Amino acid sequence: MRAIIRWVVVVGVLALALGIGGLAPQAQTQVFKVCSDIAWPPFEWVDAKGEFVGFDLDVMRIIAILKGYKITIQNLGFDSIIPAVQAGQCDIGASGFTITEERKKVVDFSDPYWESNQSVLVRADSGLNIITAFKAGNKIGAQRGTTGAQWVEDNVINQGIKVELKLYETYPLAEQDLINKQIQAVVEDEPAAKVAVKASKGVLKIVGIIMTEEQFGFLVRKGDPLKLLPRINDGMKEMKKKGIWNNLVEAYFGVDVNLERITQCWADLKGWLDKNQPEAYAENLAACMAGESYKKP
Amino acid sequence: MSIESLKLLGDWDIWKQLLEGMLVTVELTVSLLGVGLVLGVIVALGQVYGPRPIAMLMSAYERFFRAMPILVLLIVLNYGIAFAADIYNVSWLRLPTFAVAVMAFGLHSSAYQSQIFRGAILAIKPGQLLAARALGMTRLQTMRYIVLPQALRLAIPGWSNEYSGVLKDTSFVFAIGVTELTRKGWQIIQNTREVFLVFIVIALIYLLLTYLGTWLLELAERFWGVPGLTGQRREEHGRVI
Repeated sequence: MRAIIRWVVVVGVLALALGIGGLAPQAQTQVFKVCSDIAWPPFEWVDAKGEFVGFDLDVMRIIAILKGYKITIQNLGFDSIIPAVQAGQCDIGASGFTITEERKKVVDFSDPYWESNQSVLVRADSGLNIITAFKAGNKIGAQRGTTGAQWVEDNVINQGIKVELKLYETYPLAEQDLINKQIQAVVEDEPAAKVAVKASKGVLKIVGIIMTEEQFGFLVRKGDPLKLLPRINDGMKEMKKKGIWNNLVEAYFGVDVNLERITQCWADLKGWLDKNQPEAYAENLAACMAGESYKKP
Repeated sequence: MSIESLKLLGDWDIWKQLLEGMLVTVELTVSLLGVGLVLGVIVALGQVYGPRPIAMLMSAYERFFRAMPILVLLIVLNYGIAFAADIYNVSWLRLPTFAVAVMAFGLHSSAYQSQIFRGAILAIKPGQLLAARALGMTRLQTMRYIVLPQALRLAIPGWSNEYSGVLKDTSFVFAIGVTELTRKGWQIIQNTREVFLVFIVIALIYLLLTYLGTWLLELAERFWGVPGLTGQRREEHGRVI
């Protein structure tokens, strides 16, 4: 009789302890939570070992080193990031966010760090071009909450062309559906589309670029109460001055880059970041990703 | 999917990620069931034995949380708590997302569990309570020594149903950023692009977890079984029909 009640109490207490266990006291150095939808190579994705890698995340890690704070990275759905930043659940949104007037109403952006255009992906054997891809009745895929999806809304559907916009949780799923012939085209940012073409081994191709000239920025809460933007903007300048920026761009967007190398490269080189040496990290990462020789820390 | 893609199953890194995800799923399930159990028993006792206002309050609680879709509850609590932490500037209210998930699921599950316990309590014949009172036990003692020990035992089969239900519901937590088993699957297919294979494996893991959990509960049912109350009923029924 007693045993069963004691058992109930033990389970209850354990459960509460597990649930509240995360309420440990805060560390002395400032820790900021960076939220990202980690499903969008080469800006952010999960490598074969389950580690978070990518350009945006490296920029965030390096700025944290340069400016003397710490970050934790949380994987969150793309369309949940802005609400989470508004609610203070995330301190920084770093997920290839295009700076738009709409978004500026609810969050603040850093200086732009990347320029991108939208590209139109189709199956190579479909014979579609940038015009026929948007024929009435076609199904167009995009990720929920992205500027790619917005572009299709604004410039195709709202122009009276009756295509069906299919929204996905992540772009890789849209690409998979395209390969499976469930949809006719995918609209997404150029760097990510290039990665998709490479990964598909010739099944997909880019039929056209839409010159949207979007600029990416990191975003923080409206009014920047944590004073993060000056640190981020300054950090980016410092990265450029020290040559770190160019090396990172080379590492993730270079012509000879094979993104599958990241698992090995990150495992071998992340030690440089632990040693607070971002210059060495970026230089060796660029070499490693291009298949050249590199130095482990 | 091709024969070649089966090679993926030999990749330890993928299993490691799936196991990490599984661990989060299990931790979450165990925690939420624990929270739900404690609250559920309290609500059930309140509904059955509480004075009218308390019984009505408990019923309102139970109806409310049974009516809320778990996804809605997760999002409301996640952003609601953060919002409250913000305007009142209380830093300890900045709960980790896992704790928010346990809370949302715990409240939700407690409403369902309360009905399991209420049913189990009502299955006990009032004659026993009269007898206990006649022997000089107080109301509290009657609950503690007569009702609860029997009701908790009777509740195990229903509870095992709740377990298998919430285990799968936990995949909703990615909405607030907790990466569990199903989400790990999404992550893995980013690299492997093997949607079908990876999710077949995940399906098998859920099957295994459900099987294992319900088996343990069956063992518990037998371990704490009381002749004439639980367990033996199966044989009795069999003998009659």
